[in-house]
Amino acid sequence: MLEAKAITKTYTVKQKQGWFKREKQQVHAVKGIDLTIEPGEIVGLLGLNGAGKTTTIKMLSTLLSPSSGTITIDGHDAVQDARYLKQMVNMIAGGERMLYFRLTGKENLAFFGRLYGLNGKELTARVNALIKLVELEDAQDLPVERYSKGMKQRLQIARGLLNQPHYLFLDEPTLGLDAPIAKQLRSIVKDLAMEQNKGVLLTSHYLEEVEELCDRVYIIDKGTVMMHDTPANIINTVVLDYRVIVTTAHLNETFKHDIIKTASTKQLSIEFYDTGDGTVWEVTASFDPTQVFLDIIMTHHQPIFKLEMKMPKLEDAILQLAKERSA
Amino acid sequence: MWLTFRATFIRNLITMKRAYPWSFFIGHILNGVYLTLFAYLTYHYVFDGSLDSRFQQYADTGNYLSYVISGALLYTFSVSLLMIVSRAIISELREGTLEALLLTPSSRKGYFLGYLSQGFMRLSLEFVIVLIIGGFFGLTFSNVNIIGTLVVLLVFIVSLFAQALVLGGFMLYFRDTYLTQNTLFMVMGLVCSVTFPIEYLPNQIHWIGQIMPLTHGTDAFRQVFIEGASLSTVGTSLIWLLGLIAIYFPIGTIMMQKMERHVLEKHFG
Amino acid sequence: MNWINGMWAEMVKSHQHNFHSKMIYLSLFFWPVLLFITSYFALKPFDLGSTSPIAEFFDPDDLMLFLLTGYLGYIFFWSLVQSAWQTSYERQTGTLELIFLTPVSRLAFVYGRAAGNLFEAVWLFSVFTVLMLVIVGGMQSIVWSALPLAFVILIVSAVIWGGFLNVVFLFSRDASFLFTILEEPMEFFAGIRLPVAAFPVWGKVIAYIFPLTFVLEMIRGLVVEGKSFTELLSPFAWLVGILSLLFLLTIILLNKAEKNAKETGNMVLF
Repeated sequence: MLEAKAITKTYTVKQKQGWFKREKQQVHAVKGIDLTIEPGEIVGLLGLNGAGKTTTIKMLSTLLSPSSGTITIDGHDAVQDARYLKQMVNMIAGGERMLYFRLTGKENLAFFGRLYGLNGKELTARVNALIKLVELEDAQDLPVERYSKGMKQRLQIARGLLNQPHYLFLDEPTLGLDAPIAKQLRSIVKDLAMEQNKGVLLTSHYLEEVEELCDRVYIIDKGTVMMHDTPANIINTVVLDYRVIVTTAHLNETFKHDIIKTASTKQLSIEFYDTGDGTVWEVTASFDPTQVFLDIIMTHHQPIFKLEMKMPKLEDAILQLAKERSA
Repeated sequence: MWLTFRATFIRNLITMKRAYPWSFFIGHILNGVYLTLFAYLTYHYVFDGSLDSRFQQYADTGNYLSYVISGALLYTFSVSLLMIVSRAIISELREGTLEALLLTPSSRKGYFLGYLSQGFMRLSLEFVIVLIIGGFFGLTFSNVNIIGTLVVLLVFIVSLFAQALVLGGFMLYFRDTYLTQNTLFMVMGLVCSVTFPIEYLPNQIHWIGQIMPLTHGTDAFRQVFIEGASLSTVGTSLIWLLGLIAIYFPIGTIMMQKMERHVLEKHFG
Repeated sequence: MNWINGMWAEMVKSHQHNFHSKMIYLSLFFWPVLLFITSYFALKPFDLGSTSPIAEFFDPDDLMLFLLTGYLGYIFFWSLVQSAWQTSYERQTGTLELIFLTPVSRLAFVYGRAAGNLFEAVWLFSVFTVLMLVIVGGMQSIVWSALPLAFVILIVSAVIWGGFLNVVFLFSRDASFLFTILEEPMEFFAGIRLPVAAFPVWGKVIAYIFPLTFVLEMIRGLVVEGKSFTELLSPFAWLVGILSLLFLLTIILLNKAEKNAKETGNMVLF
């Protein structure tokens, strides 16, 4: 298990003030985060820009040492045993940097593989297997400068798996990718956790991705954990609005009156729009109102033309949280 | 053309103010200063002022230090000017602004002149600094023919500008600045009478020196600046320079146009 | 064993990354040859006869041999400045961070880089020099048996120097500027073009800062002047001293840089 306890990170930034004067400024990027990742689990790390996501990931991957707090990975301290733990973890960041553009995909992997102590047949076998996994067989001997964004990103994934890490940190792995390639990456990530029992930490701007993949999600803001739960629970606690949209035949006034009365006792809010197809009802409530107003329609023997339920998404939860924070 | 000139001038002035290319600036000055300094040390400390008997005859002067320092001065100046103009378009390409530039119906002449005029601020400063330092190490100012010097420099600058256009064309073709420019600069250091008269070299390679403006520029400059000769004495050098302008300018202009298209097809096609 | 693997990885990568185009040989062969020819002719305006003050230090007729050995040493050291120049690229593209993410020996990385670049950068000019030695020096005046030893000294010194440069360039924003300032003094004072013995005292003091000075003294002593190794113990001791210091500095800077990077998240040390 990977466990971070009360980790903080404070940077000292020197601000240039004129020619020689420099002002020191303390920036508290992470202000005490507790976090765990179990093997075989995908954990999401969400937050607005500047929340401390990248700093946290770099601390977990031993690139940064925390200013205070401890990180242990399967019982080893991440600061003391950094060199040992580098075999156990890896990080994959989105974007197009972090590759040698003049080297081919294969040469890139061979280089980094050797740095992880791989050699000879073992290295060749590992590189070939990874190239197959990310489906770059046709491009393996082309220089990376001729790769598309998606190909570079897949090569990054392959690089991140070279040392068969037990824990993998993915920082925006699908940034700027086309939908089909992003989907393919998601399925690779899922397999890594489910079939190979790796612990995965994922940050992403695509909240649907997080919702789809993650078992648990940490939402951090300004360097602290704001909320930590399963995606479903987060949505339930944060998003209080359920919306159902129904289209029925045009309503007469008595019926409308009846509905509004029921709605107010049940604490639903309803709006009506008349369209060519009939009347559209938009129902909003703090609980799932489907049952309540199906009952009303049933008692009045009205036909339903169309029924649409808007399930709240993780995105709504985050937007709601952001709104509350800024309020 | 005037508007393009102004726009380019102002843009480069702002860039220079915000991010002054100190390393280039100091690098160029150091280049000239080192040539001067090491010639001085070699002359005084290692050889004790004893010169080869042919030097006087080849160089038209017995003043070794003035000879080398003026060579260093003009060499530094040429390198700087060639770099400023020839790298203009390829820098736009690297910064990703070339497409935007070529989209506008602006005059290319105005653009380059704007580039040169702004760069001239830096060039003059470099020139004056190397000149003053050269003075400390033995460059003589007593015989200077001021008008002659100004005329020679003016013609020299125009010829370098023409050469820079050709160089810029090659840079765009090779998509490289580092190797292309430095190869040229090293060849110039060898065949242009910078630190020794071209006559010491085998006859077969004199022609390479002859097609470089720097060779004729240093010849003429030494005559009018060190020896105080009149313009008529340096007539041959001036005619060479004008001839080189007449050849390099049209070639450079056509190359630039062709290469712009070439680059666009290669990169955005 | 692991650090050999890491060093090998870096050598292979340097080869693939830096020697991808034939154009690069322009700078690795044509430039040094041009420099060598230019400095040969730049000395022509001086009195190089038997009455020349320089005759006290070496036979002016051997000027060509002197310059050849000088530039051979110079190109070994200079090519490593050039390759170190490119290392800041690793920091900018983020690959340096990925290297620090791996458990590879940092020292292996730094020296692998120097060695990988060195062999490729210098073989062409080395062949040129040896050919020129045959043509200019003739078979008799060169001590051919000492040549392998001379190359070993040259290679080891250059790799240690290059490793140090790599560390400086990796973690500094302004290193290239520093070398703009230092490169030409090295070319002048290390005794590439003129014998250090001919310098005034202060010039000698500057010369002894550069390890290249001692490397050249040894190479010329062994190959051109036919001295035995025991006659050259003094420059050898100086060389070992300076190289040990550079090696120590390399280790200290590397540790400091990684520690600093972990604290500040910034790969720039100074």
